[in-house]
Amino acid sequence: MDRRELLTRVFEPHPASPGTTRYTNAVLRNQNNEAVKFYDDLIRGKQCVVNFMYAECHGSCPAVTQTLKTIYRELKDRMGKDLFFYSITTKPEDDTPAALKHYAETRNADLPGWYFLTGDPYDIKTIRFRLFGMDHPGFDDDLTLHSSYLRIINDARNSWGMAQAFASNRNILKRIAWQDPPKSYGERVVEARARQVLIEQEVKKYGYRRDVMS
Amino acid sequence: MPKKKANNRPEIESKTGSTISRRSVLKIGAAAGAVGVLAPNMLTSKEALGFQTIAEPVTCANGQPSPPHHPFVDEFTAPFPCDDHPLNPQPTEFPNLGAGEADRAPHPRWTQFAPAHFTYDMSAQAGLHTFHSDFSPTYIWGFNGKYPAPTLFGRYGKSGIVRFRNNLPTTTTTFGRNEMTIHLHNGHHGSESDGFAGDFFGTGFWKDNLYPNVYAGIDAFGGNPGIDGVGDPREKMGSFWFHDHRAEFTLNNNVLGMNGMYIVYDSTDPGHEVPSANSLQLPGYYGITDFPLILVDHRFCATANGRTELVNAAGGDKFIVNGKIQPKMTVRRRKYRFRILNTGPTQTYDLTLIKPDGSVGTITVIATDANFLEHPISIDAGANAANSNSTTTPIVPGGLRVSVAERYDIIIDFAQFSAGSKLYLKENRTMFVGNPSPDPLPPGLNIGNVLMQFNVVNREPWFPADTPPIPSTLCTYPTLPATDNSWEWQFVLVGGRFRVKRPFDTVGCTFDPDHSAHCMLQGTTEEWLINNNIASGWVHPVHIHFEEFRTLKRFVNGVLVAELGNPDLPMFPLMSGRKDVTRMEAGQGALIKMQFRDYSGRYLIHCHNMAHEDNFMMVRWDICPDQASLDACIADQQVCELEMKAKESFREEVA
Repeated sequence: MDRRELLTRVFEPHPASPGTTRYTNAVLRNQNNEAVKFYDDLIRGKQCVVNFMYAECHGSCPAVTQTLKTIYRELKDRMGKDLFFYSITTKPEDDTPAALKHYAETRNADLPGWYFLTGDPYDIKTIRFRLFGMDHPGFDDDLTLHSSYLRIINDARNSWGMAQAFASNRNILKRIAWQDPPKSYGERVVEARARQVLIEQEVKKYGYRRDVMS
Repeated sequence: MPKKKANNRPEIESKTGSTISRRSVLKIGAAAGAVGVLAPNMLTSKEALGFQTIAEPVTCANGQPSPPHHPFVDEFTAPFPCDDHPLNPQPTEFPNLGAGEADRAPHPRWTQFAPAHFTYDMSAQAGLHTFHSDFSPTYIWGFNGKYPAPTLFGRYGKSGIVRFRNNLPTTTTTFGRNEMTIHLHNGHHGSESDGFAGDFFGTGFWKDNLYPNVYAGIDAFGGNPGIDGVGDPREKMGSFWFHDHRAEFTLNNNVLGMNGMYIVYDSTDPGHEVPSANSLQLPGYYGITDFPLILVDHRFCATANGRTELVNAAGGDKFIVNGKIQPKMTVRRRKYRFRILNTGPTQTYDLTLIKPDGSVGTITVIATDANFLEHPISIDAGANAANSNSTTTPIVPGGLRVSVAERYDIIIDFAQFSAGSKLYLKENRTMFVGNPSPDPLPPGLNIGNVLMQFNVVNREPWFPADTPPIPSTLCTYPTLPATDNSWEWQFVLVGGRFRVKRPFDTVGCTFDPDHSAHCMLQGTTEEWLINNNIASGWVHPVHIHFEEFRTLKRFVNGVLVAELGNPDLPMFPLMSGRKDVTRMEAGQGALIKMQFRDYSGRYLIHCHNMAHEDNFMMVRWDICPDQASLDACIADQQVCELEMKAKESFREEVA
């Protein structure tokens, strides 16, 4: 995908995307106090990484934000174009857009394509259940349990995956890449050929294919 | 939306466009039920190659019960045997990238096992399958478009190559992912043919899996190949199955149908019943007296386009046996062998045979997870009740508990029943039927618990005569070598997610295809303690790739409850054999012993509840060919842990 294609991209959802029925179209506010519809403006046809946090959190939230910042640097060419990060507060009662702005700014995370979102508590809880629900009240009601998970959505190919924020950054990047827009056969042939060279070098070095992955 | 087509790819794209209406597809599917049957004026070059145009399913609402069905309408049959098929181009040691093969490591031991005696061509593609005559066809992803997949056959001493082609639709409205990596559960072969979860390949590619069909111990027992080839014949295995292992999407792709049986014969179990050298003369004619019994549960919904589609659900309300809901089977008064396989995706079955009077019948287990038991074990609700289940006291007296991916080869002797009697295979859970049984059921049996019906008839003269009694000794196990190393895996729930954790891990790494969590030297033997240390009621059927293990000890909440060779605490009968899946119920632990011979590479240990393995409950471990490689692996093994520790310490600093 070249730059022109990125900039002129039209976000088309996958024909089988569950759309608002899964993601809801709740109106949220970002750190710039702009109203955004969760599906139409944030998910529809896009690839995004969603996590839950809250501004006054002193446990894993800053660590996860730090991780996302590192990941952001690796993906900065795509950020805000076809890839987005959404950090949604679990405490919308406390976290106003201004509080989230402060959180983002103090951590140098107020970056293009990265939204910190707040909204109606009922909507936020619904979204949390839809994205991270385990159909188990013991887990779903415990706010701390999904703080370290990243939900990776690609609405254009109607797929989602998950990464663990405390895993290696390489692992998180790999899992984000697993939800990338599908590549053409030609592109994949080129990739396979490049990988094959590495595989054979590795088999010579270690005796088996060790690090090269699809 | 017009579809872009690359010019440089072979014509294998399944058309999801609209040159053919859904209605006509439906008609074809219902009338012919065959792949590749299309009106001649619709034949394009693609379709001439055998790729049917099948409309993608329309989205299905979850949470509704499946449509009702009538019990005992469809016939129970074995999946069709796959034909040996010449491969063009010829298989090669290094991947044939120019002809569309996916990247992979070269096949190890190529000069030893090539050229292959058997070659099979398996195309994963969309298809239509009718799960019940009351249902309209269902969209599935199957091998050669079929569910259940055609059964593959192998023979010890004769290597096989299976070419798995990814002809899945390039865009799909299903919940599946059109990338695949096919694991043979549980073959002893190279890592490049093992379906490693991170080695998936996309549509348009194919990959050759080399299955040498050898007993483990090639190096130690390779000098003088007998009639069954190289390796230690005491390592014989029979009932394998193959399935997709795509990381994060194993459940989805398996629910859509990407799995099948792979049966390997040798001289003790030759696939026929005629007396021959070494033969145990077990019921052995595939599809006549020897049947796979593939269990899965699904939820269906009737959709607007006139089809009955699969719902993306972890547990279903219809239990399916060999692709049919509540089938009936005509059995002659003789012995039959069933190779029970639970393809899940998540649920455990407790199977009992119900006799016409409502009591529990006897089934004789001859193999656990493809490995013959040394002595067959009979299970019933009476004298042999202690043999049933396999971890603790019987939960269902006379029941055989089969968790996901476990296989049990059983023999049922129908000679003891009179012609005209009807027997039932019962599952402990209840499915939604919606119609009464056409036949009066034995007392106490609910139609919702019935998996299938057996109708006993007298043996016709043309039908094979009964086999001799089951031998009291089926095989002898090799003595286990001394242990080189011990290791522990904990199957835990951390932060609401499933993990495999090492004792020194703080949280446990997620499934990381890039980093090995444990390394060992090729040819060594290890004892692994597997612990399910959550008391949350979750069952983890833990599967280890590559070689079979023996269970040395079983624990419940840390207390030793069974030990191999200990007369005071005897091992649970169904755990005493060689296995590759060990069921860990809540709070249970197992000490297993396993060898890592003949091959090096990346393999996996994971929970085979497919919802769990897709959610990180999977870990990679490596077999290294030499010390230098082992050192490099161990240096790399800490990467995940160090990075996690760094992140954890950042978290503490901030706090």
